[in-house]
Amino acid sequence: MSSSTIQVTDSSDLSGQSTSRLVLQMARRDIATLFRTPWIIISRSLAFIIQLFVFAYLISGLVVKFPGFFPYYAVGSVVSVVASISFIIGYDIFEEAEEGLLDYLLTLPIPRREFIIGRALGGAIRAMIYTIPMFAIVAVLENFSNPLSLLAAVLDLFLLAFGVTGLSITVAVSVRSANRFDVVLALLELAVSRASTALYPLAFMPSYVAALAPFSPVTFAADSTRAALSGSSLDILGLAGLLAFVAIFLGLGATFYFRRLEGGVYA
Amino acid sequence: MFANFCIDLFVTAATFGNLIGSSYFLRIAPGSNLITAMVAAFQSGRDIWREKYIKDLASYLLTLPISRKIFALSRITGGVARSVIATFPGTLVISYLYGILFSPRLIEAFVIVAVFSLGIVGLSIAVSAFASTIEVFATVRSAIQLYLSFLSTIFYDVSLFPAIVQPIVETNPMTWAMQAFSALQSQGSTFYPISVLVGPSLAFALLGAVCYLWYTRL
Repeated sequence: MSSSTIQVTDSSDLSGQSTSRLVLQMARRDIATLFRTPWIIISRSLAFIIQLFVFAYLISGLVVKFPGFFPYYAVGSVVSVVASISFIIGYDIFEEAEEGLLDYLLTLPIPRREFIIGRALGGAIRAMIYTIPMFAIVAVLENFSNPLSLLAAVLDLFLLAFGVTGLSITVAVSVRSANRFDVVLALLELAVSRASTALYPLAFMPSYVAALAPFSPVTFAADSTRAALSGSSLDILGLAGLLAFVAIFLGLGATFYFRRLEGGVYA
Repeated sequence: MFANFCIDLFVTAATFGNLIGSSYFLRIAPGSNLITAMVAAFQSGRDIWREKYIKDLASYLLTLPISRKIFALSRITGGVARSVIATFPGTLVISYLYGILFSPRLIEAFVIVAVFSLGIVGLSIAVSAFASTIEVFATVRSAIQLYLSFLSTIFYDVSLFPAIVQPIVETNPMTWAMQAFSALQSQGSTFYPISVLVGPSLAFALLGAVCYLWYTRL
């Protein structure tokens, strides 16, 4: 998934560039990989369409204890897709490390902080580009038309994407074995999505899941997005949770673990 | 794999059980195990793809003193064994839920998983033989997994599907694997669903073997 072709400006130019420009330069590289892998877009879109129009449509006919399950699931499935796609950046970085490309990237005259923020930003924007058409389908289906509500929902999704990319990068740089990395990231992805209110309401979860689900970043995003789209109120708690999630995994975690990359060995 | 299965069963299936009814949890429980079997079976194809394009091991493996036919057969057998081992605890959990853990019918549960895995291993090897990039492999795998999961009777009866889709659902190997597990739950005979499942599984295994022989040709 990672690209072997890197567009890099001459190092003398880079040293004189502002922080935001360097961050954007790194982000642009990750966004560019999106358009080089159309198969991934096709498979993810197909999965979303089948999940929504086959699974959610048929299962909502069986769910009698929770009226309006289809709209609930539709919004949650978009949130779940954002989280799932944002995890891909970790696989990209791990693959780059395995192929030796990361060593090269680390020699570029870009400070580590800008590098990590740029990668996370690129991963998040990429996830949003993937998801916006799906979000549009749900918005049309459910008749969400208030521009402010839509904007607030997109902000929630972006914050989730930004935080998850930070988390994914943190895992990618802290787990050195390929098998262990695959397992950890896949389980993490499954756990944060399934143990959340994205796909089903908290009241119906078994008690052992209901105790954990309120702390999942996907729950923060799902609740906040639903609140924004329904136009009821601003979900301050959800928004605060998302911001904290972004701060922890992007600001602290990723930067701290990035230092461990230097001279490391991937097996 | 077992952790994956546990999340599928004790989080997702349990929640849908609460949303729809307790009998629904028992109905979809084997689906969690069959999905795990499907993922494990697809690993065989992924490994073959990685041997060729990432690890550069394919040429070495082909120098081993084993005939190609036996080699192809062993890849398929190994994939099935791996899938059965990966789902071993899950099959035990389902057998416990269905009250057959300490009965000879436990063997039938493993036979269902093995026959189902046989077809998926064959399919995954066939895909790996033709996929030139990991993206193509992942996309085809994803499409097959979507078909097996959502266009089958894991989550709902075939009668809920539109009439035009029902033949697709009824010919889905996952549907027959689910029916075989349902027969275990109702203490009925699994002979018919398993014998139906054997057909596509053998066909896919043969396809996988032929594609692998093509892939390893000189």
